[in-house]
Amino acid sequence: MSRKMLIDGELSSSNDDGVQYDFDLFVIGGGSGGVRASRFSAGFGAKVAICELPFHPISSELLGGFGGTCVIRGCVPKKILVYGATYGGELQDARNYGWEVNEKVDFNWKKLLQKKTQEIVRLNEIYKRMLTNSGVKSFEGEGRITGPHEVEVTQIDGTKLSFSAKHILIATGSRAQRPPIPGQELGITSDEALSLDEMPKRAVILGGGYIAVEFASIWRGMGATVDLFFRKERPLRGFDDEMRTVVTRNLEGRGINLHPGKNLKELIKTDDGIKVLTDDGEELMADVVLFATGRIPNSKRLNLGAVGVQLDAAGAVKVDEYSRTNIPSIWAIGDVTNRINLTPVALMEGTCFSKTAFGGQPSKPDYSDVPCAVFSIPPLSVVGLSEQEAVEQAKGDILVFNSTFNPMKNTISGRQEKSVMKLVVDAETDKVLGAAMCGPDAPEIIQGIAIALKCGATKAQFDSTVGIHPSAAEEFVTMRSVTRRVAGALKLKTNL
Amino acid sequence: MAASLRAQKITFSSSTLLRNICRKIPNSLSLRSLTANFSPIIFKTLVYPSQDRGFFNPQRSFMVRAESNNGEEHRDFDFDLFTIGAGSGGVRASRLAANYGASVAICELPFSTVASDNAGGVGGTCVLRGCVPKKLLVYASKYSHDFEESHGFGWKYESDPEHDWSTMIANKNAELQRLSGIYQNTLKNTGVTLIEGRGKIVDPHTVDVDGKLYTARHILISVGGRPFIPDIPGREYVIDSDMALDLPSKPNNIAIVGGGYIAVEFAGIFNGLKSEVHIFIRQKKVLRGFDEEIRDFVSEQMSLRGIEFHTGESPQAVIRAPDGSLSLKTNKGTVDGFSHVMFATGRRPNTKNLGLETVGVKTTKNGAIEVDEYSWTSVPSIWAVGDATGRLNLTPVALMEGGAFAKTVFGNEPTKPDYSAVPSAVFSQPPIGQVGLTEEQAVQDYGDIDVFTAYFRPLKATLSGLPDRIFMKLIVCAKTNKVLGLHMCGEDSPEIVQGFAVAMKARLSKAAFDATVGIHPTVAEELVTLRTPARKIRKSPPVEGKADAESKAAADV
Repeated sequence: MSRKMLIDGELSSSNDDGVQYDFDLFVIGGGSGGVRASRFSAGFGAKVAICELPFHPISSELLGGFGGTCVIRGCVPKKILVYGATYGGELQDARNYGWEVNEKVDFNWKKLLQKKTQEIVRLNEIYKRMLTNSGVKSFEGEGRITGPHEVEVTQIDGTKLSFSAKHILIATGSRAQRPPIPGQELGITSDEALSLDEMPKRAVILGGGYIAVEFASIWRGMGATVDLFFRKERPLRGFDDEMRTVVTRNLEGRGINLHPGKNLKELIKTDDGIKVLTDDGEELMADVVLFATGRIPNSKRLNLGAVGVQLDAAGAVKVDEYSRTNIPSIWAIGDVTNRINLTPVALMEGTCFSKTAFGGQPSKPDYSDVPCAVFSIPPLSVVGLSEQEAVEQAKGDILVFNSTFNPMKNTISGRQEKSVMKLVVDAETDKVLGAAMCGPDAPEIIQGIAIALKCGATKAQFDSTVGIHPSAAEEFVTMRSVTRRVAGALKLKTNL
Repeated sequence: MAASLRAQKITFSSSTLLRNICRKIPNSLSLRSLTANFSPIIFKTLVYPSQDRGFFNPQRSFMVRAESNNGEEHRDFDFDLFTIGAGSGGVRASRLAANYGASVAICELPFSTVASDNAGGVGGTCVLRGCVPKKLLVYASKYSHDFEESHGFGWKYESDPEHDWSTMIANKNAELQRLSGIYQNTLKNTGVTLIEGRGKIVDPHTVDVDGKLYTARHILISVGGRPFIPDIPGREYVIDSDMALDLPSKPNNIAIVGGGYIAVEFAGIFNGLKSEVHIFIRQKKVLRGFDEEIRDFVSEQMSLRGIEFHTGESPQAVIRAPDGSLSLKTNKGTVDGFSHVMFATGRRPNTKNLGLETVGVKTTKNGAIEVDEYSWTSVPSIWAVGDATGRLNLTPVALMEGGAFAKTVFGNEPTKPDYSAVPSAVFSQPPIGQVGLTEEQAVQDYGDIDVFTAYFRPLKATLSGLPDRIFMKLIVCAKTNKVLGLHMCGEDSPEIVQGFAVAMKARLSKAAFDATVGIHPTVAEELVTLRTPARKIRKSPPVEGKADAESKAAADV
C-alpha cells in the first residue's frame, strides 16, 4: 500500500502511463480541508486546481464560497455571535464590581451582523489570495466528476469547463438538513440563523447537538426568549454524561427554557409569527424556528454514482485510512466523509492527503485524543474519553477526579454558576484518558491539556505541574483526591 | 542499621501512637535511653510493623542531624509542629502535617488588609494582599475594556458606564473576610490549633506568642514577605501594594514606581478604572527577567491602552505640595500633580524581630532565611518555606514547599520541591503566561535553538476594532526537539498556559505539539499550529563536537 503511494507521489510519474493530465490534482470544494490540501500539494510541487461555488453566506446547491462552512457559515461567524452575546452576561456581572451600567442598554443586531459579514468577506478574500499565492488555479462554479480522472466545472454563466487530473479530491463538506414536518419551510437552519435581518425576540430551537445549544446561548445572551427542544433527557449526546448535566444546568441558569424528550410537530404561519405545535400538544409563538437537526454530506450532485465512488447509508463518501475512495485516483476529506466533523480534523486530513499523494510520505490522520469545544455560554471543552467511554473500554478500574468550583469572578459578581472540571484516569497505568471542562475559557484551557493527553501523560505528571495562581486552569493540576473509582466494563465481564 | 532505626523513630514521632508513648515517658528518661534499653528490632516491630522499608540517605541525614541536637535531652513538647505564619505555605504545611498525625499549632497576626509588624491575618499575602484581591481588581478594571470592545459587537449604552469605587472595595473586602474565615475553618477541621498573635522564636524548640511560650519538636517559619520602599525623602506620602488594594477612593492620577509584575499589574488596574497612570522605571523596559520580546510587546500594548512610561528614571524624592498633590523627583526631573505615588520596588522577607539571630538561623543579606533543598534551616529543628526563604515567590510554589516539608518531616518521605518548569502569570492587561526558559536563557543553556513566534490580531479584535494583539512564542532545543520555553501575552494567557505547562513538565517535544489537533476557533490553537521557525539560533562558530556528530550521522547512512 505504502509503496504504491510512494510511486504515485512521484510527480514525474504522471507521464509514466503516457497520459498527460491538465492537473496533478483537482480539488472540488474550497473549504478548510480543500484549501489546505491544495496549498500543501502545491507546496510539494504538484500542479493544482480547485473549484468552489460563488460566495454567499447562505449555502445552497449553487452557492458556497472559498473558506467553506468554517469561515462563512460555521466556526467563525458563530464565534463572533457568541462573543457578542457574552457581553450580555458581562454587563450583569459588572454591577457588583462597582460599574453602574445604565438600564438603557441597546443591542444592535444589524450592526453586529453587518460587521460579521464584513469579516467573513475579508476572510473569503484571504483564502482566495492564499490559493493564488501558492500557485493554485481557482475556478468558480459547480464541480462534477465525469470520470476517474475527469472533472467538469459549470460556471455561473452556465458554460462548462472540462479538466483532466491525475488525482481528484472531494472536499465538498456538508449542509444543514431540515426535519420533514409540515411547515418546515417556515423554519431556518444555522446558515440563515447566522444571517438574520432581525434579531428574534422569541426563538424556538429544535435539536440537542452543539449547534442547538450554541444558538440557544447566543440568542439568550442577546436578550431573546429561547425554547430548546430535544429528544433525549439532556442535550449533547456523545459527550460525558456528567458534563451534559452541567451544560443543562447552565443553560437553564441563564434562562433558556428546556424541553427535554420533546419534538416539534408542525409550524403554522400567523400574523404574530410562527405558531409552533409540539408533539405533546403544546403551542408556542416564535419569531424564528431553528432546525439544528444534523447535517448531511454534500455528495449528491457530484455524479459519484456514475463514476462508481461508494457512499455509506448517510451519503458520506467512503474512504480508507489514507482518505482514498474505492476509485484509486479519487480521494475525499472533511465533512463529506463524515469522520470527525471538525475544521482542524479536515485540516489534518488535508495535510495527510497531500503528504500521502504528493509528499512521498504516506500519512494517516490520527483520530486519537482530538479535542473539541462547544461554544455554549459558558463553553464546554473536552479531549480524550468520556467517563462512559473509558469505563466501557477498561479492563481495570477507572479513577474519576472531579472539581466543581465557583470561579473567582463569580465571588463578587454573584453569578450562580459553577465551573466543573474532570479527569478520567486509568487506575493501573495512571494515564489520563480524558479531560473535560465546562466554564469560562474552557476551550482555551483544554488546548494545552490536549497535548499532554496526546502524549500519554500520567496523573502524576499533572500533579507535579505547579499551578498558575489564581486561574481556573490550575484546578487541573491540583485535583488531589479521587471522586470515585469505577470498575471497567471489561473487567466485570471477566469476573463473571 | 542501628542508625537508620533511630532515624526512623524520630520521623515517626508524629504518629499518635509514638507521641503517646513519648508523652508517657518521664522527662528524666530520654528517648535515646529508651532505645538503648529495648532491642531496636522489637521496638520497630511493636510500633510500626507495617513501615519497615524505604530508608534512604536524605532522611537518614536529617535524623542524624536532628538527633545530634536534641537527642541528648528529650522532652515532652506541646506540639510536634509549631508554624509561624498562616499564609499559603504555612497553612498547607500545617494541614498536611496534621493529616500525617502530627499535633500542630499555627500562629498568625490579627486580620488587616494592610500588613504591619502587628497585623496580618489567616490566609496571608495571597489571599489578603496579593493574588486574590489583585485579581478581583483586575476583573473590575477589565470591564472598561469589555465595554469598549462591546461597541464593536453592537452594544450601545445611553451613557457610558460609571465606576463606583466604594462598591468594589466593599465587595472585595467582604470576599477577603469570607476567604480568611474559610482558611480558619480548614485549619480547625484538620485539628490544627490556631493562635492569634506575633510568634517569636526563643530557642530551637520554643516559640513565644505575645508572652506565652509553646514548645514544639519542629518549628516552621512561613512568615512571607512585605513590600519594600527605599528610604528617600517623602517616603511617608507613598503607598505600597497593600494600601493600593484598599484605597478609600479612586486615584485621579497615579505614579507607579517600579517595573516588576506588581507595578504593571497595578498600572493595568488603575488604568482600567480610569485613573491617569504613569510608570517610572529605572531600566529601559519593564519586567526584567522575562523574555525580551514579551517585555517589548506588553509595554507596547499597555501604552496603547493609555499608560505612560517614563524609562531610565530613578526616584529620588516625593514632595507634597500645599494643595495635597504629590510630585515625584527623579534623576531626570520632577513630575508634578499626582494624587497618589505608589512604590512597587520589591518585597523583603518578614524575618526581622523573629528571634532568628538568637537561635542561630542563618539569613541572606536581604533577610531571606537560608534553607537546604528540603527547606531546612541551619538549626536542625527549624524549617522555613515560602517568601520568607526568597526562592521563587509564588503561592503555588509555597504550597509545593509546604507539601514537601510535611512529607519530609511527618510523612516519612523526604521530598524536595521541584523548581523546574514552574509556570507563572502576570495579570497585566493584557496578561502574560509563561513556563520554562526565556530565549536568552535557552541560548545560554542550550546554544542551538529554534524560535517559533506568532503575532496576530485575535478574532475578537477584528470586530472590536481595538488595537489588541496576541504574541506567543515557543523555544525549542534544536538538537532534542524538546520545548524549552513557552511565552504568551494577550487575553486569557494565564488560563491557556497552564495546560501547556503540564506538557512541558512531561518534557514533550515540538513534534508532540504539532501532533495535537487544534480547538477551533481559539487563541490557544495557534500554539499547536506553529509550523515554521521565526529564526534558528546556532552557536557560531560551530564547535568541534558538533562537526563530529554530523560526520557520525553521515557515516550511519
